[in-house]
Amino acid sequence: MTPRAELVHWAFAAGFLLLGLLLLAEVIVGSEVFEMRRWRRYLWPSLAFGLGVLLWPVAVFFTSSTLHMLAHASWAEVAMLAGAVQLALVRGKLTSRWWTLTLSLTLLVSAAAFLIHEQNPWLFSRSAFLHHAIGWTLLVAAVLPLGQVLQPHRSIWRAGFAMTWIVLAVMLFSDRDVAPIFGHLSDLAGGPR
Amino acid sequence: MRQLLAAAFVALVLPGTAAGHATLTGASPETQSTLDVAPAFVTLRFDQAVTATATAIDVFSPSGRRIAGLTVRSADGRVLTTRLSGARRGEAYTVRWRATSSDGHTGSGVYTFGVGVTPPVPTEAFGASGPSWTDDAARWAFFVSLALLLGTTGLRLLVLREPLPARLSDRLFGVAVVGGIATLNVGIAAFVMRSEDALQVPFADLLYGDLSPIATKTRFGLAFIAMTLGFALVTALVLLAWIFDRPSLLWPAFVLGLGFATGLSLSGHQGVEPNATFLTGLADWLHLVAALLWVGGLVALAACVWPLAPSLRRTAFLGFSRIATVLVAVLVVAGVYLSISRLPSAADLWETAYGRTLLFKLGVVAAALGWGAFHHLVVRPRLEQDDAPRGLGRSLAGESSVAILVLLVSAVLVNAQPPPVEPAANSRVASTLPP
Repeated sequence: MTPRAELVHWAFAAGFLLLGLLLLAEVIVGSEVFEMRRWRRYLWPSLAFGLGVLLWPVAVFFTSSTLHMLAHASWAEVAMLAGAVQLALVRGKLTSRWWTLTLSLTLLVSAAAFLIHEQNPWLFSRSAFLHHAIGWTLLVAAVLPLGQVLQPHRSIWRAGFAMTWIVLAVMLFSDRDVAPIFGHLSDLAGGPR
Repeated sequence: MRQLLAAAFVALVLPGTAAGHATLTGASPETQSTLDVAPAFVTLRFDQAVTATATAIDVFSPSGRRIAGLTVRSADGRVLTTRLSGARRGEAYTVRWRATSSDGHTGSGVYTFGVGVTPPVPTEAFGASGPSWTDDAARWAFFVSLALLLGTTGLRLLVLREPLPARLSDRLFGVAVVGGIATLNVGIAAFVMRSEDALQVPFADLLYGDLSPIATKTRFGLAFIAMTLGFALVTALVLLAWIFDRPSLLWPAFVLGLGFATGLSLSGHQGVEPNATFLTGLADWLHLVAALLWVGGLVALAACVWPLAPSLRRTAFLGFSRIATVLVAVLVVAGVYLSISRLPSAADLWETAYGRTLLFKLGVVAAALGWGAFHHLVVRPRLEQDDAPRGLGRSLAGESSVAILVLLVSAVLVNAQPPPVEPAANSRVASTLPP
């Protein structure tokens, strides 16, 4: 017995929203202030790592289609690894700033999983639109960590990265038209369950 | 730009005309169910409207006889039904279905039910094919990945207990993490390949195939779920142990890893043999983990310790040699016991395909053990005298390669079918799970 898919999407949307807000908070107050308490540096990498670990149950319990299982598993893997790399950077186990590019890899893999997953055009349906929107958002956002590496002092890249997760969260909250979003529900979805 | 924004707004806010892919939410008869009387219909219920051809639901008897009539779609499009003719008590039936979601994707699935008999699992449904060489290759890759994860972790915990040079420590952790990630990925690939054998659909259709009956109603599927979750946790613990310099976290990772390796024993033919008992299950697990620790430890010794820490070579070799003696003893005793329990007569060794594969495996194992015995009996005494022979690193790499070959033959053997044996008095009723 698995929870409804939209509930799982919303749970992870909440996680991504928190991730984005943490990153945005650091951008707004500046790293010096944010890192006055050392534990705060571990916050978002730990959250990313934890979200990656938590995605594994989603991958193996939602097997109604092969593609969904593969997509969830790929997100689980890249999120866990990206979180681990960021933790290692904070901890000083890794020192090269180029390791930040693992975030680009994460976004690229996630984007590919969304775009390959959806084979219909943008406006075919709400779900198709969201798949494309999320996929292209992540694909474009993959350039942001590269900007962070090349121009570490410009906060625009970090702000963009933070906003990416907030936007992703909003889109995930909008996902599934079997859920009454904005008060509307598709007739084909068969009414509230 | 305004038009694009308007389109985005409309698509997001107004009710959509379709959800994602259609998911099977219910079936009658239920998946893996055993009925007292033959059903008159097969009914499939989806979470959204689907379109289907007149032969969307096919129902086969064990001999391949088709017993389904034309498929009929309900008014709301969410239910497909077909009438059965000729279903009788004492037979198990295979249901194969295909339906297209409103998003244009065609999903498919397979499940079984029995009338007065326990149905086979979906991977043994009518039309499903058995393991092929790709399944053997996947199982071998899984063994190797697991050996890297557990063998390296075991070497670190049991042999190299003192603080290590940073480069060596990082490489050992790196090999373990690569092993963990590979275990997860190969496990997923193996599950998808096994599902493809059961579903028997083209690759494009497999992408939208319903894997839930295979995941939840077969030993292989349940082992896949448990092992994926378990090894994700193990990999996470290894990563955290490395990041936070906490080797103590390796202990739970190691113990959990050894525990979740039982999934391989329970999902292989060990779990479905008629004469399977608790003791054969335990022997299978011991045989497996001893082999994984031995092979993985050898690889870690040859690929990490030898090139990166010359000062630790002697300590590591002697320490591993002691452990390897125990591992090989467990490996041999458990292996002999399993061979005797699986082969009713000695002639099966050369008269059956399983026996011949086992003979080949014994040959490769003998080569690996001979190499190990040379290290133990010749090299070890010299190392104890501080007289390290030249070329020992290459020799270790050679033994590792032969040991990895042992894993390959083992993978073929695990997927092979042993000759039939009499059920043990206290054996499990295997092959199927409760509905």
